[in-house]
Order: sequence, then structure tokens, then C-alpha cells
Amino acid sequence: MSAISLENLTKVFSSGVKALDGLDLDVADGEFVVLVGPSGCGKTTALRMVAGLETITAGTVSFAGRVVNDVSPRHRDVAMVFQNYALYPHLSVAENIGFALTNRNIPRRDRERRVRTAAEALGLSDLLNRKPAHLSGGQRQRVAMGRAIVREPSVFLMDEPLSNLDAKLRVQMRSEVLRVHKAIGAATLYVTHDQIEAMTMGDRVAVLLGGVLQQYATPRELYDRPANLFVAEFIGSPEMNLYEASISDDELVLGSQRVALGQASTALAPYRGRKVIAGIRPEDLGMSGAAGRAGEAAAALVADVKLVEGLGSEKHVLFAIDAPAAGASALAAAVGEAETGLLAASAHNGMARLDQGAVVRPRDRVTFRLDPGRLHFFDPDTGAAIR
Amino acid sequence: MSAPTLAPPAQPPVRPAAETRRERKRRERLEQRDAVIPVELYGLRRGTVTALTTCCVLFALFILAPVAWVIINSTKTQANIFESFGFWFASPFEFFHTFANLFRDIDGDGTYSTWFVNTVLYSVVGGVGATVLAALGGYGFARFEFRGSKVFFGIVIAGLLVPITLVAVPLYLAYAKVHLINSIWGMILPSMVTPVGLYLMRTYVELSIPRELTDAARIDGASELRIFFRIALPLMVPGLMTVLLLSVAGTWNNYILPLIIFSNNTLFPVTVGMGLWSQHAGNSGDQNLYPLIVMSGLVTIIPMVALFALLQRYWRGGLLLGSVAN
Repeated sequence: MSAISLENLTKVFSSGVKALDGLDLDVADGEFVVLVGPSGCGKTTALRMVAGLETITAGTVSFAGRVVNDVSPRHRDVAMVFQNYALYPHLSVAENIGFALTNRNIPRRDRERRVRTAAEALGLSDLLNRKPAHLSGGQRQRVAMGRAIVREPSVFLMDEPLSNLDAKLRVQMRSEVLRVHKAIGAATLYVTHDQIEAMTMGDRVAVLLGGVLQQYATPRELYDRPANLFVAEFIGSPEMNLYEASISDDELVLGSQRVALGQASTALAPYRGRKVIAGIRPEDLGMSGAAGRAGEAAAALVADVKLVEGLGSEKHVLFAIDAPAAGASALAAAVGEAETGLLAASAHNGMARLDQGAVVRPRDRVTFRLDPGRLHFFDPDTGAAIR
Repeated sequence: MSAPTLAPPAQPPVRPAAETRRERKRRERLEQRDAVIPVELYGLRRGTVTALTTCCVLFALFILAPVAWVIINSTKTQANIFESFGFWFASPFEFFHTFANLFRDIDGDGTYSTWFVNTVLYSVVGGVGATVLAALGGYGFARFEFRGSKVFFGIVIAGLLVPITLVAVPLYLAYAKVHLINSIWGMILPSMVTPVGLYLMRTYVELSIPRELTDAARIDGASELRIFFRIALPLMVPGLMTVLLLSVAGTWNNYILPLIIFSNNTLFPVTVGMGLWSQHAGNSGDQNLYPLIVMSGLVTIIPMVALFALLQRYWRGGLLLGSVAN
């Protein structure tokens, strides 16, 4: 029996906006599940419904098999960490952390002991008498977490807790959050818009778009086998390069070039003579003879280099081929949204991640090597992955 | 599930002790001075500042002239009030004599001290009651969605549109039926209902208490009442002070309502009492009442001025709704 179980969870606001459409999700005890997606995809709404702060239009939320749709947040035994911390400004850190215990009339000695333990675990022992106004962002975040863990809940909810912190602190706090999760061992639902957080922190990740679940799998699975165009583009940085192409016999026709497909062509049999969308990740493109997994791969791709970004540890090469890009427009068609903008600006450009030692300059014409087995294919109408 | 047993991470550097009150006030004063550019840099035409300052000074004089008149003329005899120049002193200097007379039953109509005590009673009880009701009502309207909430709020605000003179007679008849005439509750109960206070508190709650805070408190297991008293109320204090001051001042200065409600002299507040003296002084000129009227005016405004001065850091912040840092 899973610790949290969402079945066909739907939310329609009174303005008619459908924020969540039939979400099915289950979180095992002790599992860390991340809900990720762009703004407005319904992830925060889903979290608030699990917390009991939002009414449920249809579907059920169950904790360990018990349906809690009509249970008020007070009695659900969930703890939540908010994006803006939501600390009580007129109470000290100790009182903030202990507030939930005060509400349950836990005797003072017990309460103080538990507050002290939680504070020690988070490095807050020196700050117990301070008010939130005199704390830094990171400290406030830790107080918010302390307030949640002191209750020893069965369900942990986190709503983008790290998005208000600067980049360096965010990286630090990521490991802090995971450390606390391991120690507590409660089922955790973590909401974020940052796919890096999702990939590094989650045991399983649920990708949402427009209120609809796109894919629910381990980070590895999301990266290796994205279920559709949106997941393919959303996961992985820099984004996957996507092009409109067609299949002819055993070859992929990409603009004026042909790429031999070998084994990959079996799944593509129904698409012979038709258009597909082909994707290749920047890290799966390599230079001939260069080190790295794509170095000795079979197929080749000729491209014109537009820009080279040297990062010190690697090179990002912006290139162009004569195949039409599939990113923005296909995305829009598949999900009915107009999220063009920056994607359109880089319409025909692809990105390759090369080793720092690669010899490449702007205006060069280079031959990339790629493994056809690492190509991803998507149906041009539905955006679904072709397997 | 046991409590977390982790080794704590490296301790952050210990910060210095929190600053004292005097240091904080000094820092705030300096910060405020830094936050504004001097008037020379506003880019105004020459003479604008002088012109505006002159206008402000004239306006201030216009407002303060009656107060100055009261202060000055409370020191004069009745004859001098009428005959000497209004804005300067004249001999004999009768201030203390008049002040002493204030507390004697000069007229047979009741003493100033009784009226003063009544005023304090009505204002404090009415003002505090108004604040409590406005706080509860404002929080309820701001934080809860219930059927008819918009309609109810509209009705309360619409009450502001009705002038009291319009309802004077119906009010009297209704109160007579429930025996509130000549009762202190007839004065206190209506004073506890303030549409302006309700509106102020609702707006203040909307601006100063983020929804996330109440959400967090609900998740922490607090009941709605607990949330109100422990979380919301402490954050509503500046707004509460504003409503308290406005209600107390409003009831203190109220003339029409007690005039309608009371016919018994001993229940009058100072406003009506002074009106009574005024009437008598007009009718029979040799009662030496005028100095008393002027003196009572002076004494009556002093507590209000003191209250506003003492609590100014609240009502300044409260009226500027939303400028209070959270």
C-alpha cells in the first residue's frame, strides 16, 4: 500500500480553468517523488490538494489506503515547506518550530526536547531565540524545514522550497534536503520547475504539462527513454536537438543527409516513407577520433559551426544543418500551447557538447559522429515517442 | 519513526547580539534620512517650494486658529472674552480660577467632571468594542469565503452613505422600544459598529497576512480560532491601533447620538454638556458661563491630542496600509 496515492485527481477552478486533469500517482513509503514542469502545469495545485488546502473536483487522495478527500489539513498528518517559508514573523525560531507541537498540547518538556533535536539536526541551535526577520534566506529555509520535521509526519510536502535562494545556496540546500529526507524516512512529494533538481533529487519524477501527466519514471528512464517530445526537451541541459526528418528504407533522411539506422529501424517500420521527428542529445554528438562514447560511432552528420562556447571543462558548439528544426512548433502543436519565444530564435541551430580538447572554430564545417541507437524518434502528429 | 539523529553540519558564524531599542530607532531615523533626496534635487521651478510651504503654513494656521483661540481665551474673564482682542491675552489672568470652577456644579445642570467621566466611559468601552468587532469581522471577510459575503460587506459599507440625521427619529423610536433611551448602552452599542473600521481591518488583513501563513498554521494543526488569536491578531496590531484611535476619537467627539439618546443630565458626555451650557449662557447672560465653556473645550481636547501623539507610530503605519514590513 503506497504512502500517498492519487487517483484520477482533477481540479477545475470556478473560473473554468482546468488546472489538473486526471493525475494518477503513487508514492511508496520513504520515497522521494518530484513533481516537475513549467509554470502553470498544475504541480502546485496537486500538492495543495494533497495537503488539503485546495478542494478536489474529482478523483481521490489516499494516505496508506485511507481516502482523505474530506479530511481537513489539521488532521491529515502532513507537513509542508512553502516556497516563501511562511514563518510566523512574531514568533521566535524555537516557537516557530514548536508551533505544531503546541497545537497538539504536547507537554512542554517533550516539546522543548524535540525542538532542540530538530534544531541541532539543521544547525539552528544558536538561532533559537531569533525572530525570522533577523535570519538569512538559507536560515529561514532551514527553520521552515525544522517546523516540518519536528512533527515526524507520515507525508512530507515541499513546494519549490529552494527557488528563492541564490544558486550556490541552492546546491548546498539540495543535499541538505536529501539528508533530512533520509533521516526522516517519510514519503515526500517535492514540487519544482527546475529539471536539474528533479534529476538529482528524485527517486522517481513526474513530469506535468498543462495539468496532464506526461511521464512518471526514474530520472534515468526520463533521460534515456522520454515518452514524448515535451519530456525529451524538458529533461537534459542543454536541450535535445530536434529535427523534422523522414524515414526512407533503412535510413533517416535529415535535410540533405542520410543516416544509416541499423537496428533502430525495426521500431520505425510503420513510418517508412513518412515524416518523423528525430532527436539527438548534445552529449551524444562527438568529433571523429575524439574521446568519449560518440567518438567511434558509426553514423556521421555534417554541420556548419556557428558559435563555440568554451566552458573550461567542455565546449558547447552551436551548429546548423539544413533540416528544419522541430522544437517549438512541434511542441506547440502537440500540446496546444504557444511557448515559442526563445525556442523559435534558435530555430535551425543545434547544440553539441564536445570535449574541451576538440578542435573546432566558428564557420568550420565539421563531421559529428553519432550512435544511431542514441537517436530518439517521435510521431510528428502526437509527439509521442516511437518505440 | 524516531527523531532525526544526524550529526549537525558545520555551525555558521555567530551573529552579534540583537540591537537595543535606542540603536534601532537611531538607525531607522538615519535610514529614513538616507532614503529621501533633498528638495533641491526634485527638479522644481524656482519659488515652487516657497509657494507650497506658504500654502501649507496658511492652511495650518487656519486649522489651528480655533485651538489657539481656545487656549488663549480660557485665561480670560467673560467680559474680556467679548471685548479684548481674541488672539492675545488680557488681564486679569483667570486661568486657574476658571479651571477650579469647572468642577463645581455652577449651573445646577450637572458638573463637568461627571460629563468627563461619561465621555471616557463611552469612548473607551465603545472604542474597544468597535475594535474587537472590526477585527473579527475584518478577518472573517478577508480570509473566509462564504455565501453572501460580498452582499453582507456591501450592506455594511452602504451604511456609511446614510447620514445620522436621517435616522435620528427612527433610531429614537426603535431605542425607546428596547429601553435603550437614557441608558449608557444606548450610547455604547451604536458606537461599537463602525463600517470604516471594518473596511480598514479587512483591507489590512488582506495586505498584511499572507495566505501562506494561515495555510501553514492550518497544516500545523491549529484550529481557526487559534490561528486568529495566535497568528493573525499579533500581525494586525497596527491596523487595530488605527481603528481604536478612530473609534475612540469618533465617540469622544460624538454630539448627535448622545443628544438623541440622553435626556438625563448625569449621563451626558462633555459634548452635550457643553451644548447645554452654551444654551444657558445664551439665554441668561449673567451666569459667567462663557469662560467655563471655553475652558471645558480646552480640557476636552487634551486627552485626544495626547492619545494621538502617544500612538502616532501606529496610526501613521496603519493609515499607510501595506507599508508595514512583514
